[in-house]
Amino acid sequence: MTAVAAAPAVSHWRLSGAGLAARGLAYLGLAVVLFLPSFATDFSKTCSLAVIYALMGLSLNIVVGYTGQLSLGHQGFLGLGALVTANIVAQAQLPIWLAMACAVLATTGVALVLGLVALRITGLYLSLITLVFGSAISSSLFALARFTDNNSGVKIQRPHYLATNGDWYLVCVAVLLVVFYFDYRLTVSKVGRALLALKENEQVAEAFGIGVTSYKLLAFALSGAIAGLAGGLYAFRGELYSEKDFQDPNGFTLALLFVVMCVVGGLGNRLGVVVAGLFFGLINELLDDLFYAHWVHPWMQHVPVLGSYYSSDVKASYLASLIGALLLLQTLIFNRGGLGAQLRPISRWMTGHRFELHDATHSGPAVAEGSSVRA
Amino acid sequence: MILAFDPQQQLGQPLVLGVIEGSVYGLIALGLVLLYKSNRIFNFAQAEFGTIAALTAYFGYNGKLFGIPWHMPWIAAVIVGIVLGTLSAVLTERLVIRPLFHQPKVIMVVGTVGVLLASIAVEYLVFPTGEVASLPSVTDVGLQDPAFRVGFAAYNVSWEQVLTLLVLVAMALAAVAFFRYSRQGTAILGVSQEPTAAATVGISISRVSLLTWTLAGFLGSVAGIVSIGGAPLLVPGIMTGTALVGGITAAVLGGVTSMPGAFVGGLLVGLVHQYTQAFLSFPGAQNVAVGLVLLLVLLVFPRGLLGSET
Repeated sequence: MTAVAAAPAVSHWRLSGAGLAARGLAYLGLAVVLFLPSFATDFSKTCSLAVIYALMGLSLNIVVGYTGQLSLGHQGFLGLGALVTANIVAQAQLPIWLAMACAVLATTGVALVLGLVALRITGLYLSLITLVFGSAISSSLFALARFTDNNSGVKIQRPHYLATNGDWYLVCVAVLLVVFYFDYRLTVSKVGRALLALKENEQVAEAFGIGVTSYKLLAFALSGAIAGLAGGLYAFRGELYSEKDFQDPNGFTLALLFVVMCVVGGLGNRLGVVVAGLFFGLINELLDDLFYAHWVHPWMQHVPVLGSYYSSDVKASYLASLIGALLLLQTLIFNRGGLGAQLRPISRWMTGHRFELHDATHSGPAVAEGSSVRA
Repeated sequence: MILAFDPQQQLGQPLVLGVIEGSVYGLIALGLVLLYKSNRIFNFAQAEFGTIAALTAYFGYNGKLFGIPWHMPWIAAVIVGIVLGTLSAVLTERLVIRPLFHQPKVIMVVGTVGVLLASIAVEYLVFPTGEVASLPSVTDVGLQDPAFRVGFAAYNVSWEQVLTLLVLVAMALAAVAFFRYSRQGTAILGVSQEPTAAATVGISISRVSLLTWTLAGFLGSVAGIVSIGGAPLLVPGIMTGTALVGGITAAVLGGVTSMPGAFVGGLLVGLVHQYTQAFLSFPGAQNVAVGLVLLLVLLVFPRGLLGSET
């Protein structure tokens, strides 16, 4: 959000003291909003999931948004991270940080293998390979009796100093902030520019001396690492590893949801992706609150299709999925920049620029690709 | 992990079952190939057209559809199902594909993913769920005559499964003939190879696109109808869960642009599935095997087994 700071047209404008104070207050407010859920018991658990989804969004965003390859198997990485973390903690009794580090190593390794495949196979074929990868790994490796405690699910416990859901939520938020900053550093660095060049045109990038092989592998490895971290957080969130969460049809829905998050957030736009991830993590809770509100419930149950929300939990969860699909389609057709483009005036203001609805440096056909990497 | 050898169980049975399972993949793959020929995309919603058809037919025949107990005759339910399935493909083309026509292909593919998600969700909200598992299938009515089973008794094959294979063969032949001999088929190929030139000689691109999606929707719906007999339980999203990955794999194995390739690819995926299941017992073995075959074929023959034009 700052790489294009020096736009000549606004160079005479300077941040005033009051402006600085206002932005400080805004950050303080944001911090309070992020902190508040940690006081609730059940809601903080939901919020942890939302943060984990946001992390998965960032992870997938590196592959889809930065390198331009569609991956439909990212639930495989999330599940692998959860599996490794849970089993190391339960079977080897190692401390959780070490277990999560192992999970990151494992998912990074698997992602590298997938990256090797991606060197040879690209585009639609790669999306098929990732789809098959997700369903194959979740139906085979995840279901092995030795990793699932004989199919009963691996039960683990958080350490005593992180015992409550609220504590774990704060850990998730901290991880998200670190990854977010890391992702920002990535895109403003040489690596980010190299990935952008790769996405636009591989041959041209190579002609300019960018190592296509190593950067593609790097992108997959980073994506896998973040997903592994998210998997570790996921395992400890419920203090249980159950392969069912990642197996089809749940796993497939999850994989699609991650893609939806990335597109709705705006491909390549980390803030948008995080906001979309948080939204899709919370949407079931939000819908429940809405549908069971006293001023909605009495008449809503007579509405033809929406009324079936009350008949079962399954149907209720699919309303969220419908909203996701509609948001995805409207983003693709009408609003290619995604949420990130909508939030840009705010994010620019927050990073110390003038508040402008139509940002001179970002308007124009640059948005046509809808997924160009901009820091 | 490796099961003891038994010729009938491990050689004969998987061959029969694999061919039958593969014919559903082949049908899905035929529709995918058709769309790939015209739009150069994979349609991730292809199998879901089949679920829509199957659910509609099922609930039209026995149960409530949109709150009304229709009790249609068997054949009417099937036709209504196929019509609705095809209609959903037409709607997809109008509402999603058309606006994304000039966008990058990846965007169009993500659009079909959106259609897939939306249709599963709508199915969940519209069709009654829960009671489904206990009811018999539509094709049971006309085809589950014990007399039909005699010849296949040893292999436990039902007539609806044989029907699937016959339908696939008929559809594949019809598709090949359509592209080779009809003006419409030639127009579709023309648009796929050079849209500008095709438009110049008077082919309406939007009409061709609508036509291909209608045909693909029809193929998907037929796949859904013929496989409900074999489906363990009919729930929203079932065709995507059981046949989408197999179907796309089949299309890619056959070389994405080849109709006979889709047919061969479908049978190949079905056979690989059944034979791995017969010989290996660890969980998910068949998915891993199909993934490995796909990877190998793509690395060795990047254009698939029968792909030529790309």
